[in-house]
Amino acid sequence: MSGPGVAWYIAIAGFLFGIGALGVLIRRNPLIVLLSLELMLNSANLALIAFARHFHNGAGQVFALAVMAVAASEVCVGLGLVVALNRKRLRLDVDSLSELRG
Amino acid sequence: MTGGAWLCLAAPLGGTIAILLCGTRIPRAAAGWISTSSVAVAFAGAIWAFFGVHSQSRPQIIGFGNALPQRGELTTAWTWLQSATGHHVFSVGLQLLVDPLSAVMMLIVSGVGMLIVLYSVGYMDGDDEERRYFAYISFFVFSMLLLVEGGNLLLLLVGWGLVGLSSYLLIGFWHERPSAVQAAKKAFVMNAVGDATMALAFFILIAHTHSLSFGVLSVHLSSTETSLVALGLLGGAVAKSAQIPLQTWLPDAMEGPTPVSALIHAATMVTAGVYLIARTHAIFEQARTVELIAAGTGALTLLVAGLIALVQTDIKRVIAYSTMSQIGYMFLGVGVGAYSAGMFHLLTHAFFKALLFMAAGLVIHAVANEQDIRKLRGVGKLMPFTKWCFLAGALALVGIPPFSGFFSKDSIVASAAALGTWYGWIFWVCGVLGALLTGLYTFRLWFLVFPGEPSPFVREHYHDHHGREGAWTMLVPVGILALLATFGGWLQWAPKWHPFTSWLAPAAPTLAAAAPTSTQEYFTSAATVIAGLAGIAIAWAVYSEQRLAIPAAPFLRRTFEHKFWFDELYDAVFYRPAAALAGVLFREFEEPVVLQTGPDLGETTLAAGDLMRRIQTGLLRTYVLFLAGGAAAVVLAFLIVR
Repeated sequence: MSGPGVAWYIAIAGFLFGIGALGVLIRRNPLIVLLSLELMLNSANLALIAFARHFHNGAGQVFALAVMAVAASEVCVGLGLVVALNRKRLRLDVDSLSELRG
Repeated sequence: MTGGAWLCLAAPLGGTIAILLCGTRIPRAAAGWISTSSVAVAFAGAIWAFFGVHSQSRPQIIGFGNALPQRGELTTAWTWLQSATGHHVFSVGLQLLVDPLSAVMMLIVSGVGMLIVLYSVGYMDGDDEERRYFAYISFFVFSMLLLVEGGNLLLLLVGWGLVGLSSYLLIGFWHERPSAVQAAKKAFVMNAVGDATMALAFFILIAHTHSLSFGVLSVHLSSTETSLVALGLLGGAVAKSAQIPLQTWLPDAMEGPTPVSALIHAATMVTAGVYLIARTHAIFEQARTVELIAAGTGALTLLVAGLIALVQTDIKRVIAYSTMSQIGYMFLGVGVGAYSAGMFHLLTHAFFKALLFMAAGLVIHAVANEQDIRKLRGVGKLMPFTKWCFLAGALALVGIPPFSGFFSKDSIVASAAALGTWYGWIFWVCGVLGALLTGLYTFRLWFLVFPGEPSPFVREHYHDHHGREGAWTMLVPVGILALLATFGGWLQWAPKWHPFTSWLAPAAPTLAAAAPTSTQEYFTSAATVIAGLAGIAIAWAVYSEQRLAIPAAPFLRRTFEHKFWFDELYDAVFYRPAAALAGVLFREFEEPVVLQTGPDLGETTLAAGDLMRRIQTGLLRTYVLFLAGGAAAVVLAFLIVR
């Protein structure tokens, strides 16, 4: 077993997560928000796999696979929403979509 | 035998439930007939139970725990409640007791009750809420039957409470009249005082004997406890039977329909106190002073009620006060220890008092609901049947032989004489004076209302019922009761034959001290009859011939008219201080504290809500910020605390 220690992985994962969170918070374009969400999910995946290797425990990898499945479905729904917005010629701005009524 | 008892109890309850469930789906008259037939079935059950007791060849020991052989049977349907403290088990069952005493009461309650309910069919005909009335009245009969049949003290108290409830419902039956609602409330509150003292007595019994069966009454307790228990029971009896000092509800209870008055006064309710003392005589005999207090209460009440009755102008109120007075006689009887004499008067009184009320009801019904005796003069000429029936009842009430009151009342007064002590003679004098007053007020009513030429008011307002004085459902019960009031007393003439006393002896034997000799009986009979006749003579001279003027004694007159100021006294002692205290509390506590707290609380909540609303922007990013901030705070907290 070689390569960098678990602390490095966690640092990178934290960094990615921070970037993703900031993206969700400050960007208004739903596409970018979705991208940032993916970034957060993948940073969590990185942390899970890093710990799985550190503890020699496969459970973390299984979780990571599950998260990927969730992320894929989420992107499907999210992109579907974006396409629907585009079709209705609405502004691509999450703040203007704060009400459920169309 | 016990089957009869259960049938007797279940039938009126079934009638109530049937009427309630049918609601408006049955015609109004049908409700009356359901009620009448249910009480008639109860009467059949009572007869069954009576002959069951009668045919018991050998006296049986029933589960009372005392050694005396008793007639009767105690039947338990199931154990109702059970609890254990330490090694004592307290259990009460749904038990009925059929013994000579309860059999007699069952016959009176359901028999006279049946006639009264039948009378109601005619009297209440056309009332908007007839169905409700008949549901209530069946329930009233059921409650009273539960009271007299209950096989232990707790069940007796249940019946006692239900009687209070049903009287409340019936007195306030015409609920659109404020006075009726007031009267119902008054009756309920006055009775609640008695219920409370009875409950306290039962608590003492439970604490010291761990049982509420009738058998514990003969268990020996310390004299303080015995006196307290007896006083508690006496309080209940006094309230229910409208004796001084808890009598003020009875005249007001006249606000109910007339058959209800008849039922309350004759068959149910007020006789419950007399029954209670006879039933629990074992404890009263251990606390002889309390028993004599009961007798004294009766003696006082019979005089006070007689005096008040002299000045009443409402036909029903005169009869109501005569009930108080006659119940006073019964209390005197059971108080000195002559239980069978008291119970016998209860029986004859049920006949003639129901008769008087129902005859008065015929008059009221025929003359435009008028109850003022000054306006009803001469109504007898138009209503001869009512007139003669009322006369039979009046003579029975005064105790003129051969009418029934003579046989029962004299025994009570003679028993007082048999005591031979100074208080015994005071009771005797009260009883004889009471007979004089009875003659006076009864025949004041008679001479004012029935004989002579009809007054213009009566001529104008009298309307007959298809050529008769009333519907047949009203006339038949009155006729039957007139016969019973005339001949019912022949059942027993104490000096010569006394089947009633022998019948009751296994349940409530007359004390030896209160068993009068024949000489005392004859002497007392002569005295009371002369007193009664003197009363009638005075009434005749004053109200019929007007040879004597009513003595002008304004103070006495005012005292009687204000019913000895009992209402005013209770007003001053209980109502006014309570109202004043409530006023102070309203000003000092409710207004500054409670009334202010409410709005303040509301404003604070509104302000808090306003604050919270600002956070709810509806923007996803804000929520994410809170989420992230919260998560960061948790992580930080873990890092710091670690």
